[in-house]
Amino acid sequence: MPVIEPHGGRLVNNVVEDADKARTYWELPTRLEIKPTLGPDGAPIRNPYREVMSIAYGFFSPLEGFMPWNEVESVLKERRLLGGWLFPFPIVLDVTEEELKASGARQGDDLLLTLKGRPFAVLKVEEVYKLPDRRELADAVFGTPERNGEVVKKRFDEKHPGWLIYRSLKPLALAGKVAVVNPPRFREPYSRFWTPPAASRRLIESKGWKVVVAHQTRNVPHIGHEMLMKRAMFVAGGDRPGDAVLVNAIIGAKRPGDYVDEAILEGHEALRLGGYFHQERHVVSFTLWDMRYGNPLESILHGIIRQNMGATHHMFGRDHAATGDYYDPYSTQYLWTRGLPSYGINAPPHEVDKGLKIRPVNMGEFAYCPKCGEYTYLGMSYGDVKEAPLCGHTPERISGSFLRGIIIEGLRPPKVVMRPEVYDVIVKWWRAYGYPYVTEKYLKLKEEALEVEL
Amino acid sequence: MTYKIGLIIDDKRYEAIRDLPFAGSLKSMFGGEIKILEVDVDEETAKRILQAFPSARVDARGYLEDLPVAFKRALFEAVVKTRSLGKEAIEEVFRNIEAIKELAKKEKEYVPPP
Repeated sequence: MPVIEPHGGRLVNNVVEDADKARTYWELPTRLEIKPTLGPDGAPIRNPYREVMSIAYGFFSPLEGFMPWNEVESVLKERRLLGGWLFPFPIVLDVTEEELKASGARQGDDLLLTLKGRPFAVLKVEEVYKLPDRRELADAVFGTPERNGEVVKKRFDEKHPGWLIYRSLKPLALAGKVAVVNPPRFREPYSRFWTPPAASRRLIESKGWKVVVAHQTRNVPHIGHEMLMKRAMFVAGGDRPGDAVLVNAIIGAKRPGDYVDEAILEGHEALRLGGYFHQERHVVSFTLWDMRYGNPLESILHGIIRQNMGATHHMFGRDHAATGDYYDPYSTQYLWTRGLPSYGINAPPHEVDKGLKIRPVNMGEFAYCPKCGEYTYLGMSYGDVKEAPLCGHTPERISGSFLRGIIIEGLRPPKVVMRPEVYDVIVKWWRAYGYPYVTEKYLKLKEEALEVEL
Repeated sequence: MTYKIGLIIDDKRYEAIRDLPFAGSLKSMFGGEIKILEVDVDEETAKRILQAFPSARVDARGYLEDLPVAFKRALFEAVVKTRSLGKEAIEEVFRNIEAIKELAKKEKEYVPPP
């Protein structure tokens, strides 16, 4: 059985591997240093280099570059690229007037994008345009309770990291195809997990996996996550031994209190090294992206990325890619069972024309029942229907904040909550950074070093 | 009103209190996998703690939460030293409160790994 078709039918690979050819671009007179988007306090909240990488290596296929204005309008109106393929977010390369002037770039030019002062990628400038009021743009991207009441419960504001990214964009945008002309080297431990779509597809083909269930993560896994991954495989109908779990971490801008990226990747790897997943049925990888926390919208992007990586199914849990209480906790399940007409998506993403081929596995939550001595399924809440345990006892949920409280006190979480091997990974990176979670110091270090060297 | 502070008891901490009279009254979670020792705090003491640590709060159950790690570690040591789950333990902590406050300030950037 062939690996699932990429979104849009063709996998983008805009990476110039031929060194001689690539170097011809390095001396371009028009050049622009990629700089992070800064929040109101001056802290980096996004770095467009991650978008360049995800476009060029095919994670966002069929998207080939930064969007022109009419494509942004199309995405905002019905979440479609100009070619008609489903896509949830505007992908925009924003600049100031001063930066544009200093770059010397004009429509039709090849513009060298530099990173850390080194040649990195080329943008074929197709359009230079002025962005509208960014607050209105951010509202249009994520929705409002008035316009999108089926899933949006609260107006977005500066506390929402994704809304803040669009709100903080510079006034001008450059559109056009991008190609990486100096493939960066990933630092350890990222290099071990870098499996872009073409490589991921080759891996799936070589292993003979037929059912591949993707798991989105930005967390070190606790047992609740492990339950979701394993049960999703049963729901997807995985035929042993031809099935596997593809863990794909989103690596990008962080917030204080998050787990550090290194611990997230190695924490998931520890599940396989510890034997909780079979060596031949589990892979950990990552995508570079500054998460927009767009819950249902983010789930479309996740579906696109993982389909492009070759996954056949995607597990979606409660509060998928969410923060705060802006969206209903089961907005993603709403989208994948009914569509989101107020966003121009009139049926689930895998049932619309030019939609996705990947299939959803919609899941509620699991909680530990001390009486049963196992995790029990709670189901989902929607409308008048509330979560209720499958057993007749009183299960105990794993609260992320409670777990963090245990860890920060230097205590080893019990085995029914977190695998000891995973905890050891947290402590390893705690020793490296002096703290188990992201701090202001870590943010500064990460933004200076990024994940790559050129 | 009496408030409470919940101290999580792992194997190492359990060893330190196993012979104390309150070792048998630990609260259990996750089928006994997590044990919690509850320290009673009167209203006046709760106010002192909240004043010392502005990030701390009283939750809906009457538990003092979001206390610095340094405070909780010091409280556990004081419980062991005074063999008390009440005022004596808290007083022992307050004897070194300035040093604990200094440690708490640094907790945003550094907490010693286990």
